[in-house]
Amino acid sequence: MSAERTCCAWCPDWPVVAWRRADPDLEGRPVAVLEPATGAPVVRAASIDARAHGVRAGLRRREAESRCPGLVTVEVDPLLEARTFEVVARAVESVTPRLILDRPGRCMFPTLGPARYFGGDEAVATQVVAAVTATGVADVRVGVADGAFAALLAARGPGPGSARVVPSGGSPDFLGPWPVGVLQLAGSSSPRTTGASGPGALADLLVRLGMPTLGAFAALSESAVAGRFGATGRQAHRLARGLDEHPPALTQPPPELSVDEELDPPARRLDVAAFAAKALADRFSALLAERGLACTRVVVEAETEHGESLARCWRHDGALDASALADRVRWQLEGWFADTHMPVDVTDRRAAQDAAAEAEVLEPVTAGITLLRLAPDCVVPATGRQLGFWGGDPAAADRAARALARVQGLVGPAAVTTPVLQGGRSHAERVRWVPWGEPREPSRPDRPADGGTDGDPAAGDAPTWPGRVPDPAPARVYDPPRPAELLDADGTPVTVTGRGECHVPPAWIRSDVLADSTGGGTSGIVAWAGPWPEDLRWWDRLTRRRRARWQILTDAGVAALVVVESGRAALEALYD
Amino acid sequence: MRRTYVRYGGGVAFPDVSPIPHEPSSSHERLRSVARSVRPTVLAGERVVPVADGWEGLLPGRGLQRGSVVVLDGPPGRGTTSLALQLIAAATASGEWSAFVDLDGTLGGVAAAGAGTSLDRMAVVRGVSADQWAAVAAALIDGVPVVAAEVPSRLRHSEARRLVARVRERDAVLLAVGRWPVEAATTLRAEGGPWSGLGRGEGLLAGRDLTVAVEHRGMARTVAIAG
Repeated sequence: MSAERTCCAWCPDWPVVAWRRADPDLEGRPVAVLEPATGAPVVRAASIDARAHGVRAGLRRREAESRCPGLVTVEVDPLLEARTFEVVARAVESVTPRLILDRPGRCMFPTLGPARYFGGDEAVATQVVAAVTATGVADVRVGVADGAFAALLAARGPGPGSARVVPSGGSPDFLGPWPVGVLQLAGSSSPRTTGASGPGALADLLVRLGMPTLGAFAALSESAVAGRFGATGRQAHRLARGLDEHPPALTQPPPELSVDEELDPPARRLDVAAFAAKALADRFSALLAERGLACTRVVVEAETEHGESLARCWRHDGALDASALADRVRWQLEGWFADTHMPVDVTDRRAAQDAAAEAEVLEPVTAGITLLRLAPDCVVPATGRQLGFWGGDPAAADRAARALARVQGLVGPAAVTTPVLQGGRSHAERVRWVPWGEPREPSRPDRPADGGTDGDPAAGDAPTWPGRVPDPAPARVYDPPRPAELLDADGTPVTVTGRGECHVPPAWIRSDVLADSTGGGTSGIVAWAGPWPEDLRWWDRLTRRRRARWQILTDAGVAALVVVESGRAALEALYD
Repeated sequence: MRRTYVRYGGGVAFPDVSPIPHEPSSSHERLRSVARSVRPTVLAGERVVPVADGWEGLLPGRGLQRGSVVVLDGPPGRGTTSLALQLIAAATASGEWSAFVDLDGTLGGVAAAGAGTSLDRMAVVRGVSADQWAAVAAALIDGVPVVAAEVPSRLRHSEARRLVARVRERDAVLLAVGRWPVEAATTLRAEGGPWSGLGRGEGLLAGRDLTVAVEHRGMARTVAIAG
């Protein structure tokens, strides 16, 4: 009943390592990677120098910045992590073909074959360390033990390049002294995403009950643990005793449970392949659900026209549902497609980094993808999911979601958006167009409209944005503003002095946006208000902007918002 | 005991009472009245998508008829976009989805929120090229009940007719903003109106009294909406 001998390769703080490889500016500076959580973003991983100052996972961003001056915070990017980890995965693949990926930063494989080939577990571990450090990832730690959980803990060695081997049968003794908090590491999702009944809460409870170590927990009887703590506790108890997560009475999944999809014409763009992968993942989950099974390990294979193929085994602590599967396929393809990427706004800083990161040589894909296959590697009986009672109208939301996903397949994911209001001064800044499927979060905080803080202390210090143009809001917003000319009665352009004053009233506006309404493009101004000066970031010479706004009404009855900056006027919005 | 067959077609149920020749006419009448009272009624009101308060006067049936195409036309600056936003806003309040196809990506999100839209049920498709427009509009009509779309200048008659047929089949509403090549039952033309609040060098735009010319099945009238 002992678990199979596994080797785990772990790169600590992988989000930080991935960001540092993508952006060389971050070398040598303390970095913290933030992930979104309820309320404000919290730290997910921090570099060694940041941790030396006391920055830990789970801290709010302000707390982290106060503990470590000069901290650089970046947002978590799972695609970047997955893509960068592909390099490490290929290096480990040189040791063994049967690689199982947990999540970016951690991978494991059974050591039976490689141990016979290289002559022992220590030799395998040193091979893995050598292979990974050759790719440029300096900090990798390897552990070999019976079972995935023990190997994971064995990999948390003292220093970079450490390789620790736990002798066969020695897992229970090895696991004994570890604190119960390490049970949270068994999952392959982020430790903070588990709910109140997850292993984190269980660990707290065990400490309070007087069992601070895994050895003390393992000494209890299994039936007592199952009766008191339920299924989560029973699973944790098996891990603490050195047994593997699932009881070994698993049947080998019959081959017809794998699904594949042929893409014709071959997919050359990542988003087309990802869209097909979503459909494939749905079919796969439906197929498994019909038989009452859920999949914990799945092999994702992709093959191109020219015969290049990539197969990866992904592991998950719970069952993989359709959206998680589709994500993993997307990560895998992203890691493999070195020369194509999803269309993003080229002015985005992240896109420039992506383009630079893609210069890393992975074997480039020379043709489109023709085949995607999902094959389950390890299935367990599915326990199902209880839906809420007051469901709303999920059918309408599903239909809309399918229609929007189809449109995304036609025009690209960035073209189908939903608006999110956020903080900002100009009308363009106050809206963030979030692509469909991404979390609808503002990028700048805003004071809630009703002025209340509804119990959240962080909302009380949300910024107000003085200088906003009040409602009603214009229906057409031009970003960047369209060139225009604002002229006074003599035909000279209207200028605003350094103090924000203007002594000559504007009389004419000329712009090609207004051309259709009057037929000439030049309209007389019958009413106006302004100039409303704005001096942004006056303390920073590089990003300083000074501009002035006017609200005008033309003789044709058209109202518009004009912004004047460095003597040039532009049409910012039209009250259509 | 007579059996009444209820036939469902197009979402409206009506009984199919076939006369048996030798029945006395009084029981015939009684049967017909019974059939009318047990008929599952689909009210005309359910076939209409509600619009914001104050704007119902524009549309025949006091709302957007499902399965119809409404054309909104007008030069820029006259209030066409605000009209479109107001008409699709109320649909989201009742839990349905709405979509806006914005060809040049200039729709103001704050204005959409100001019209009363629930922003998490409004999708905006930006930057659609003219040759993909028909496919995108068709895909949206399949799943989203209220779609407002800016029409590209060179839309073919055949594509427009196909979209009209699809709208009717899915019981959706299409608000075509711009020039629509085929005839539509209802056309709304925003003609602008006086703005209040702005003076000469002072003040702030407060609101507009919008005048809309409504043409429905050949009959035209003008509606003014205070704002």
